[in-house]
Amino acid sequence: MDTPTLLAHLETHDTALTLPRGGTLCWDDADLHRAAHAADPEGYALLGLAPGVRPWQRARVLMQVLAASQAGLDDATRAVLARVAHVLTLALPPAHVITVLLGLRRLRANHKHTTRTVLRFVLEHPDADALIAARRPALLDCFEHALGKASARGCARRIADGDTASDYLRRRLLRFLTAPAAAPARVRALYAPAPPGATAPREPALAVDALRERPATVTATNRGDIAATLVHLYRGGPAEELYVALGRYLDAAALAYPRFEGTVALVLDASASMRGYGEREWAVLSQAAALRMLLGEICDRLEVVEVGGDERAPRGATDLATGVLDALAAGPDLVAVVSDGYENLFPGDLARVVATLPRAGVTTPVVFCHAMFTGSDDLRLRRPAPALPQRGFWHQDDFAELLPWMFGHCAAGAPWLRSALHTRLDALDRRAAELTAEFAAAPR
Amino acid sequence: METALDTLVPGPLSLAGHRLGTPQQAGALTMVPISGPAHPGFAPPRTGLKLSRVVGYGQVELSNAAGSGVAIVPLHIGYIQDAAQNHALCRSAFLAPGQRLLFEDACCVQAGQGGYLTERDQWFFVLPAELRDAALRLRGVHGYSKLWADIADLNVRYGLARRGHLEQILSRKRPVLTQFQSRLELQPGQVGALFFVAGRFAGLEIAPDPVYFAEMWTALVCFAYGVAAWHAEPDPPADGAAPYDARSLPELRGALERDRSARLAEVAGWLAEAPAGPVDLQEEDRYVDLRLSTVTAPHLAGQIVTDGDRTVYASLFAR
Repeated sequence: MDTPTLLAHLETHDTALTLPRGGTLCWDDADLHRAAHAADPEGYALLGLAPGVRPWQRARVLMQVLAASQAGLDDATRAVLARVAHVLTLALPPAHVITVLLGLRRLRANHKHTTRTVLRFVLEHPDADALIAARRPALLDCFEHALGKASARGCARRIADGDTASDYLRRRLLRFLTAPAAAPARVRALYAPAPPGATAPREPALAVDALRERPATVTATNRGDIAATLVHLYRGGPAEELYVALGRYLDAAALAYPRFEGTVALVLDASASMRGYGEREWAVLSQAAALRMLLGEICDRLEVVEVGGDERAPRGATDLATGVLDALAAGPDLVAVVSDGYENLFPGDLARVVATLPRAGVTTPVVFCHAMFTGSDDLRLRRPAPALPQRGFWHQDDFAELLPWMFGHCAAGAPWLRSALHTRLDALDRRAAELTAEFAAAPR
Repeated sequence: METALDTLVPGPLSLAGHRLGTPQQAGALTMVPISGPAHPGFAPPRTGLKLSRVVGYGQVELSNAAGSGVAIVPLHIGYIQDAAQNHALCRSAFLAPGQRLLFEDACCVQAGQGGYLTERDQWFFVLPAELRDAALRLRGVHGYSKLWADIADLNVRYGLARRGHLEQILSRKRPVLTQFQSRLELQPGQVGALFFVAGRFAGLEIAPDPVYFAEMWTALVCFAYGVAAWHAEPDPPADGAAPYDARSLPELRGALERDRSARLAEVAGWLAEAPAGPVDLQEEDRYVDLRLSTVTAPHLAGQIVTDGDRTVYASLFAR
């Protein structure tokens, strides 16, 4: 399965994994996950961390990574998989993780990397005490599955007798942990009667996706700093001050992304409708311009084909079909059409041109980035080429999901995507380590 | 296409210097932009013309609030306001700068709604093309409910309740109607447009200058012609887009250009096939050298403003 299709699946299919009592694990897209993992274990696991992936899909990635054997994988890949798995145990709602761990038990999946991840979740999760109090039978099952029932109970017996660091404990339990000092108390709690009325924490300990600004009323200037600054520039605000701020915001945004070592041809709709009117004037165009500027910062080469007027003077009608043909002439790795979707100069032409590209020998991917005023725009009359991969954006925060989706469509985007997700994993791993350190330092 | 434009309204309407641009399409609505000479000295309709008050049902007073420039009241302009009886005018008129004018032959377009329009929250529309012939015939006729039966019939034709409420279309369908102002895009320097709905001539609009036309844009594309276009909106093609017969990018460009030429010819054909013939002209109002006249013919009707032999304003619709 190609990356954009897999990513789209991960971002949209949020059906829960379920474990009917006495039945088999209900995992409706297991074949897809197994195939993706088999094709590229590291890339697959990293994709689970991509912005916008649904929680139950992240749970499936965790399940697949822990269920699959790592035989034949090199140490570097194993290390990445272990870090992704650990991050996901913290980044998912604890109930999701428990379902995954019980599912692994049902699948009889028990590898060393499985054991390590399960034990770290049961004994080192920042909310471990509350989780054990509220979900003791389930977590005990997970613990005994990870170690084997005899070893688990042997460890528990020794801990009950006061053992904290014997060779037996070290070999069977403590070597899997990063904060072994905290383990004995939790193992004792696993085998003690649960306190009545305890409730399990519902929220993840680690936020994977940044909290989004969600204004009650969307305006032209609460859609991210770059676009807001551009709106003021377009309105005739003080250019010097605004350009300084624009440069600052743009640098900050570009820092979050690796360089794209390829060529993007951007068909930028600069027609009258992109300017908008009334209170929405400049809102849509400013965000499209923000995207163009960001791409200019991170792409080795960016070719811009403006349709209608230009960014500072949007006007006239929208001829996207000619724009795409002009963009293809630049020989890019990817063509991205950025438009509000109102194709009025020969409507239908974009769809026909796109339908003809394969027989014309063109293999360059073309994607449609829908410039919207809000995330709930009605796009029914704004899909000029329904066959094109398309994705909407209205806020600067949307770029975090838009760019991986865009670059995922072209071969030159593969290293970009992997690099971006590695950076993301590094950041999440640091925060996970901080949580573990806080947990280890907490008084018992 | 200029020849065809001249033959559409022979005689009184000289469109010398006006040129047709490249057609734009949004669903069933085709708009052919018209550029041409700008006639300075006219107050634009949104920023210059104001609804002063509604004296009584069917009696609307407008004022020309512009500091200078005579206002040509757009034909069939109407005003919508929450909790007030919405009104439309049956005719155009001249208003000198600072002048107020009471239209005693206005029509209510919202049966059963009490309250008078005030100066607040003004947004205006132009009567849907389907009602314009009836409204023009009712100019000079007093009676606030005179258009209710036609509005009710229109609502029934569009699957709505039989009521004399134009609001059922203009306000409740506003989200889809107002998209026409983005689905079609105003051209720089545009002073007018030809409108076709589902391939049939629907109207010709000419304004004194681009600013005036820009202020009419929303009312025309969304309401005057957008209502019929909304009702005739075609379904998207079920089988997806058909590819061109092209084996390379240059071939694809060539195929696209040929296809576009064919479609331009098709639109020119619509205009050539539009009914034409002699028209009757009846002067209604004058201001210095300007003449406001009503045009009637079997195939079209409307009002025009001329200055000598030059057309300054026209709002003509198919009958």
